[in-house]
Amino acid sequence: MTTTAEERGSGVVRLLARARTGVLYPLVALGALVLWFSLASPYFFSTANFFNIGRGSAVLLLVALAGTVAILVGSIDLSVAGIVTLTGVVVAWFIDDLGLGLALLIALVVGAFVGLLNGLVVQLLRIPSFLVTLGMLSITMGVAAALNNNAPVHFRDPSLGQLVNGDVLGVPNVILFPLIVMAIMTFIVFRTKVGRHLYAIGGGEAVAKASGVAVERYKVGAFVASGLLCALAGIVITGQIGAGTLDVGGSLLLDSVAAVVMGGTALSGGIGGPHRTLLGVLVIAVLGNGMGMLGFTDFVQNIIKGAVIIAAVALSIDRQKYGIIK
Amino acid sequence: MPAQLEDPRFSGRVLELRGVAKRYPGVVALDRVDLTLDAGEVLGVAGENGAGKSTLISIVNGTVTPSSGEMFLRGQPHRFGNPRASGSAGIATVYQEQGLIPSLLVFENMFLGREARFARAGTLPVARMRRRAQAILDELGCSIDAAAHTGSLAFGDRQVVEIAKAFAAYELTGINPIILLDEPTSGLSEDETDVLLENIRNWRTRASFVFISHRLTHLFQVAGRIMVLKDGRHVGTVDAAATDEEHLHELIVGRKRDSEYYREALQLRPGSEVALRTDGLTMAGRFADVGISVRVGEIVGLAGVQGCGKTELVRALAGMERYDSGRLELLGRSLGSGRLDAAIRRGVAYIPAERLREGIIAENSVEFNLTLPRLSTLRAWPAGPLSLRRCIRLTASWIERLSIKTGGPRSPMRTMSGGNQQKVVFGKWLSGGVKVLLLDDPGRGLDVGAKEDIYELLRGLCADGVSIVLVSDNLPELIGLSHRIYTMRGGRVTNVIEAPRDGKPSEAAVVASMV
Repeated sequence: MTTTAEERGSGVVRLLARARTGVLYPLVALGALVLWFSLASPYFFSTANFFNIGRGSAVLLLVALAGTVAILVGSIDLSVAGIVTLTGVVVAWFIDDLGLGLALLIALVVGAFVGLLNGLVVQLLRIPSFLVTLGMLSITMGVAAALNNNAPVHFRDPSLGQLVNGDVLGVPNVILFPLIVMAIMTFIVFRTKVGRHLYAIGGGEAVAKASGVAVERYKVGAFVASGLLCALAGIVITGQIGAGTLDVGGSLLLDSVAAVVMGGTALSGGIGGPHRTLLGVLVIAVLGNGMGMLGFTDFVQNIIKGAVIIAAVALSIDRQKYGIIK
Repeated sequence: MPAQLEDPRFSGRVLELRGVAKRYPGVVALDRVDLTLDAGEVLGVAGENGAGKSTLISIVNGTVTPSSGEMFLRGQPHRFGNPRASGSAGIATVYQEQGLIPSLLVFENMFLGREARFARAGTLPVARMRRRAQAILDELGCSIDAAAHTGSLAFGDRQVVEIAKAFAAYELTGINPIILLDEPTSGLSEDETDVLLENIRNWRTRASFVFISHRLTHLFQVAGRIMVLKDGRHVGTVDAAATDEEHLHELIVGRKRDSEYYREALQLRPGSEVALRTDGLTMAGRFADVGISVRVGEIVGLAGVQGCGKTELVRALAGMERYDSGRLELLGRSLGSGRLDAAIRRGVAYIPAERLREGIIAENSVEFNLTLPRLSTLRAWPAGPLSLRRCIRLTASWIERLSIKTGGPRSPMRTMSGGNQQKVVFGKWLSGGVKVLLLDDPGRGLDVGAKEDIYELLRGLCADGVSIVLVSDNLPELIGLSHRIYTMRGGRVTNVIEAPRDGKPSEAAVVASMV
């Protein structure tokens, strides 16, 4: 018999756990943070600041979406920060000579290619994805640094900056763009065959296989998708900074995995989805923005963020446990 | 059948449940059930799949918290939902899926979680633990080595170790165990079953048992009273000595047992056209030179002892595994080795014995599972997104056609009984228009009522021209259902036995070609 979260907790916990859609914890966390910062700072609750938060979390959302795809099929992609850095440098490297269009295309191809390598090595050599992608993280970081002898890549072409920093009807492109990507992904996972198959693989690989799902192809495909999304993030970040730099990856890996799990996508695969990841990203972004506004130093911010991530994951993971205990 | 009691303190009522109910979304798993268990008693529990037997056990051992009700242990109120407290109160469960850690030694498993009682100055006197475990095993009358690797023991022996674990707790705490047995005989051979039942009778001097089984004969052999659940309700408790299988069966299914259990009257003559044929089919080390044929509307049984290659043969026919040489022909056209996708496309469906591993994704909904193999045909427009409306409608129609008991198309599979889960697996393949159905032990873990539903379904499929290959360890079932039976031994086909409606072979005749 299955033990569910509802059966173990009591009172409020039971009520929360019963919300099967599972968006309640991150929503409560987000609400609490917004309330706290709104009371503590007069500048927090304003459209201008919300745009700031959006601009600051665009890259994280794209990277977390990349992580979501891999985690949905039960794998994990730890090379995300490396692919972001590499593709960001690649755009900067080519844009002056080849123009915006070709530079973007090359970055996307590089991202997809790294993802393809990840997937093929995992599938063909049957090595756990966290090891393969950890190795790939090191490789991509190394290649990115080698491209310009460990120096940032500067460029003059203004078109990328205009694209990234532009807006539509007052809403920054950089906020709209990742949201559109997320909406498309959410549609794909819930309303298409491909999406159903991804969930089936994450939820029960043997069942998916027996049902005729091309499991290997999908798992490689998930890494390619992850690489592509990271390339998008790399392009955005280079546009925001105005140069291809090597130290953009920093906290992306931890933040993105935390956002995915906090949102409610189970690390075991098959549960959750891209729309959930948005909530996790917002928690991290709001936390960073608010603490900065209150004048917290970087290291205090890191300590608090780490604690919040652990607490949030502890809470959100608990309600994903049903069905595992048999 | 009162047990002879060694210990005068071991008497009276050890367990009582009053008005225990458990509701899941859309399903009432248990509806105000009462239960009493006396010291040294074996209480049988019978019921169809989904009747609530497993839920009942889970409530007693604390892994499931009921929605309402009371529980008393040796007269004292006992709090629900605390497996640890239930464990230290002497409640032990022997599950179908075994609860031992295979990589540990037998005595380590027996004292798992209770090592502290042996600890001296922070170290464990391993030799003493082993001797103590051996003494318990010897006293239980079994010849298991306490120092053996648990994983190397036979299934039946591992089951005994689980029971011995409960007695080990008794040795340490002095609390007479209440042992909950969930289908303990389902994985055992006839001989092993006899030994286990005999043992249970002997162990009643020190323990009380709740014994769940689909096998009514086994219940009669060992239980004093038999409690019957149906659809989560307690429909009666009968005295085993004063009743017979026929009556018990009526209580369980709520109707008289069909004289034609296997629906033999519905067995039609198969067509002349061959749907599936193999020629010299070989998988190295598994089966060799297999030539069988299955006609349209025919049920062909594969009989043989474990390891004879029948399971691998069926998996190779399904494209789940690769064959090495020979020819596999489907409706006149050959089918390559390991071509699962092509097999599915051409109307071959395989229903696995291990339902939870290969049949269903328990976390997902009925609709998700049922539509999984044929999402391509459920799009809103060609190459477009899925039409959720069509997915739901298809699922709802199969829920109705197969009388699947569930909260609805969107209900998660994990809340459903094994019989209903199995029906979803059938629906998953039938909804695509199956031509050849490959069944590996389709009745495994199912109760009488669910099995009868499946048999009726199979007859109907044959009448519609579906061809069926059936693997089953249950010989009466295999003989009752099949038109013809291929017997296998050591990977080779040894005989073909006709089993027409009015001329079913005896079990002995089939067994003769198997061994």
